[in-house]
Amino acid sequence: MWRSASLRLAILYTLAFTAAVGVLGLVTLMTTRGALSRQFDARILSESEALAQEFRVEGLNGVAQAVQERDRTPGALDYGLETPDGRPIAGRLAGRSADSGWSTLTMKQAGGERENIRVHATTLAHGYRLLVGGDDESIEAVDNLLVRRFALATVGVVMIGLVGGYGLARGMGRRIAAITDAAEAIIDGDLSRRVPATRSGDDLDRLAATFNRMLDRIATLMESLRQVSNDVAHDLRTPLTRLRGRLEANLGRPAGPERTAAIEGALTDLDAILATFAALLRIAQIEGGARRSAFRAIDLATIARTVVDAFAPSAEDAGQRLELEGVNSLAIEGDPELITQMLVNLVENGLRHAGPRAWVRVRCAVQAGRPVLSVVDDGPGVPDSERERLFDRFHRLEASRSTPGSGLGLSMVAAVAKLHGAEVSLHDATPGLAVRVTFPAGERTLQLPNVAATSS
Amino acid sequence: MKLLLVEDDRETAAYVKRALTEAGHAVDHASDGRDGLLLAAGETYDVMVLDRMLPRVDGLAILRTIRASGVKTPVLLLTALGGIDDRVEGLEAGGDDYLVKPFAFAELLARVNALARRPPPQDVQTTLRVADLEMNLLRRTVTRGGKRIELQPREFQLLEYLMRHAGKLVTRTMLLEAVWDFHFDPKTNIVESHVSRLRAKVDRNQAKELIHTLRGAGYSLREPD
Repeated sequence: MWRSASLRLAILYTLAFTAAVGVLGLVTLMTTRGALSRQFDARILSESEALAQEFRVEGLNGVAQAVQERDRTPGALDYGLETPDGRPIAGRLAGRSADSGWSTLTMKQAGGERENIRVHATTLAHGYRLLVGGDDESIEAVDNLLVRRFALATVGVVMIGLVGGYGLARGMGRRIAAITDAAEAIIDGDLSRRVPATRSGDDLDRLAATFNRMLDRIATLMESLRQVSNDVAHDLRTPLTRLRGRLEANLGRPAGPERTAAIEGALTDLDAILATFAALLRIAQIEGGARRSAFRAIDLATIARTVVDAFAPSAEDAGQRLELEGVNSLAIEGDPELITQMLVNLVENGLRHAGPRAWVRVRCAVQAGRPVLSVVDDGPGVPDSERERLFDRFHRLEASRSTPGSGLGLSMVAAVAKLHGAEVSLHDATPGLAVRVTFPAGERTLQLPNVAATSS
Repeated sequence: MKLLLVEDDRETAAYVKRALTEAGHAVDHASDGRDGLLLAAGETYDVMVLDRMLPRVDGLAILRTIRASGVKTPVLLLTALGGIDDRVEGLEAGGDDYLVKPFAFAELLARVNALARRPPPQDVQTTLRVADLEMNLLRRTVTRGGKRIELQPREFQLLEYLMRHAGKLVTRTMLLEAVWDFHFDPKTNIVESHVSRLRAKVDRNQAKELIHTLRGAGYSLREPD
């Protein structure tokens, strides 16, 4: 608890507030004292003025009588009237040789206590002196009261600060403990655990949300890794078993053409296994999203042209046709190597499944402002029921079990498309299959001239 | 040729060294990064073959160090890492070629030979000649026995690569990388189709065939013995 950051902060703030209350009290005290002193002085001055008026109107006897009267009134000020040579005429202040103007006299009270009296001396006509003064103990009383009240307020501030800080520390502590608990649970292997969030949407909630997004990402990566290990187990074991069998069967065979053929066959099997393995790793890498750093502006049409140029001769040799259609230039943001590989997979897939006299077209187009790359064949197509599963790893149509291919081609297409934020859709090309990769609309797409279709 | 092989796996190293020696090369072998760096920096080689992941000093570090000290010897990197980024990283560190494990020995030998025969960069060639086949690199024309041969741009690139490596084995993957920039192996043998078209243009009705297929290994452009 004492090591809680919020409690320490609360204590720090309490100290700061206490200091602020102290400063406030001091300022209030000074201001109040100043105002009260000025008021007291003004009262003394106005009494002096009133008695000086009395002297002018009623003469010395009149004022002496007034002084004696006031002196007897309880709670009134103190007075004195002196002759020009300082002898007392009336009042308890007389005969104490006070200076002219303001001064302070120390006098003994009836009970023997000493009191300080602030006195103002006025010189009247013929040199008579009038003294008016008073004890400023009322000001001290107010001072004392203020000090006591402010001390009380300070205690209140400290109490509120400490209690509030404790509450704050406990609240924050509970929420931080929830995050810590979730993290600990994840460390212990429960990857499905998430950090709870309150509904306030404050910074801790935002932290929790970010934390949860990070966990989702990690879970996706873990899932991808798990999938790869499953796939490896599932589809590498079969060819490895075959390879092992082949080697075992030929172990005792004498050197000669048959043995050479067996070794060559084994090497071919091994190459196929390695190719599958490489493809799996590549897909995992792409799904991990690590390749997005290689994104740059690329031209889909140029890539399509390169791929069509590369594959057209071998298609022709097999009695098939491979052609390029659509716009001459189609810019997207992407990884050229992965897009090339994706298109190669689609083209090979089309050529392989569409049969000996197939006509495969690669088309670049803009549809509804989005760049679209499609590969259309005129083969037997894919039944509706099978289309969805086409992108699963190793999924191959029953009908094509005998044709070569690891079944990973379309998984890789899906992974590359996903990395690029593109959607892959399968359509019936009546006859045949159309695979369409629709890229997200980029600002660059709009700048492109949507020229008429050109055929390569 | 004098070659340096830096490879930590004893068995792989022994097998590669034996095969390279049988092919007529003198091979120095280092089994960790520190020894490799000492040899690479101290001796003169025609080609260096560096494994990427080595104990003590890794292959890329050796490469960066010798490149920084001005050694221009061609370097072939071997790696068990198959990622695209790994290849890019290797080439950026100053590698000249990159081969992913496991590899066919013929592939390694062909690439080592191709690297060694690289003409120095300052030597600008404008014509390539093999027997009566002539390629003008400036005018982009090809003649055989003085007669013009019309080639598609890709066919021109393909022939240029074969001519630059005349007399040497050129593998399918080398051609895929050099001509099409494909750094993966398509299932279709596209190289075969392109080479057969090129062969039809270059060798048809000629007494001597120049483009030879080495079954299961690759191609070679040379004057027949």
